[in-house]
Amino acid sequence: MKNIAFGQYYPAHSPLHAMDARMKVILSVLYIVAAFLCKNVLAFGALLVSAAVLLILSRIPARIVLRSLRPLFFIMLFTAVLNLFFATGTSVLVSFWRITIYVEGVYSAVFMLVRIIVLIFGTSIFLTYTTTPIALTDAIESLLSPLRLIRFPAHEFAMMMSIALRFIPTLMEETSKIMNAQKARGVDFSSGGLVKRAKALVPILIPLIVSSVRRADELAMAMECRCYRGGKGRTKMKVSHLRIGDFAALACMIAFGATLLYLNHRGIGYTM
Amino acid sequence: MAVLTLEHVSYIYGEGTPFEIRALDDVSLSVREGTVTGIIGHTGSGKSTMVQLFNGLEKPTAGRVLLDGKDIWAEPKKMRDIRFRVGLVMQYPEYQLFEETIRADIAFGPRNMGLTEEEISRRTKEAAAFVGLEEALLDRSPFELSGGQKRRAAIAGIMAMRPEILVLDEPAAGLDPRGRDAILEGIRAYGKETGSTVIIVSHSMEDMAAYCDDIVVMAQAKVCLSGTRDEVFANAKRLTDVGLDVPQITHLMMKLRARGVAVPEGIYTVEAASAALRKLFGKGHTV
Repeated sequence: MKNIAFGQYYPAHSPLHAMDARMKVILSVLYIVAAFLCKNVLAFGALLVSAAVLLILSRIPARIVLRSLRPLFFIMLFTAVLNLFFATGTSVLVSFWRITIYVEGVYSAVFMLVRIIVLIFGTSIFLTYTTTPIALTDAIESLLSPLRLIRFPAHEFAMMMSIALRFIPTLMEETSKIMNAQKARGVDFSSGGLVKRAKALVPILIPLIVSSVRRADELAMAMECRCYRGGKGRTKMKVSHLRIGDFAALACMIAFGATLLYLNHRGIGYTM
Repeated sequence: MAVLTLEHVSYIYGEGTPFEIRALDDVSLSVREGTVTGIIGHTGSGKSTMVQLFNGLEKPTAGRVLLDGKDIWAEPKKMRDIRFRVGLVMQYPEYQLFEETIRADIAFGPRNMGLTEEEISRRTKEAAAFVGLEEALLDRSPFELSGGQKRRAAIAGIMAMRPEILVLDEPAAGLDPRGRDAILEGIRAYGKETGSTVIIVSHSMEDMAAYCDDIVVMAQAKVCLSGTRDEVFANAKRLTDVGLDVPQITHLMMKLRARGVAVPEGIYTVEAASAALRKLFGKGHTV
């Protein structure tokens, strides 16, 4: 329970930690686009190198970031296997029984795998590991604020998001507490059939829902007591500013995208 | 005879991350059978972690937990039996009630033990009586009860399993003085009538002094002092060093003694002090 990496900010001093969160949101979107631009071995190679560079820049131990890949292991495996067996092409690599594996299949399997890994790496380094949840929601509020013109409640949206993020660890802690309490009364989560296991969840879920409702009520009351009235006229204690470094990072990202496009034309081997 | 023993136990949260916390550091202690043992210490001294080791909810990072001389982790598959023998009431247990009626909730533990219906209903009634819940309340929903009543129902839920060792983590936290005394009395009654060992975690010296035979003082993830109540309170200096204190009434008695009033040593409750003073000054005086 305590090892779940989701939303886990990793405190460190690095250029990525120091960047403006708004720029990090923009960069991570651009990075996702970049990952989908890649079409051949050279471009994917450059993508892998860029992920490694990001990792070094962030000063986060590699095993911490690698941990974020673990929950998606089966999706990655599934994607790779699907691509391996079902991609068709012209040059046959092996053929047995009714299965034919093409060279193109191997390529696309590897490419997809690299793409998924780099996507997770990139977004988790930019957004979760180097940005505190508060900075992240502030950034999203700021980026969405032009939409206020069409009456989109940007502040309320960001507030809802930050409350949700804030309470994920609280709820996980609560869940493990309640699980422990019911285990102490002899609930067994790890044996028995499907029905028995589902039934064992009732003593967990009911107290959890009750306490979530209670917590929401208390939070609403506390916000009310501090005269919270939505985002109108609300100022910030910490106003973040875009600095030269942020724009330099943006320039690097654009240059990186252009490089990928260029590499796509230096065709070596298979092109997607 | 020691019924529960910790041997050089350490426990570390989040080992190998920047959030690593050493909650227990080479802790050894033993709990005598049939006594009420108090574990006292400030927030973050490792008390709550320790109680979760007693019934195998957490596994020590190093060291052994012995129940009747046997390592409880020797057969992890039989942990459920250990948990029925070492009943743990966690902090704020009222948030774990989930059944439709109090009766059903108290019966949840015994039902998991696979007892007969008669036995379950007998134990439910008995446990409710220990904590002072009236029969009429048992068929109400847990959500209709007051905070103190819910707390009692939750404690009864563990007592109904009739554990040999009843462990309670801050059973009186957040209750008014009357509710606190009622719950602690109920716990003492359970220990006396069933001959079970009771372990209470608290940060209130007053409660510990009034209800415990033995006291273990925790500070900075280590056992700083342990022994019988008299032994521990004789070390007032060590207690104040770790930011704890002897009960206020004991302080008063010490001061009286320093001024030459011949009150006996080892007075920890207002009742005992009152009796001692009455004896000293004769029956005619009211104190």
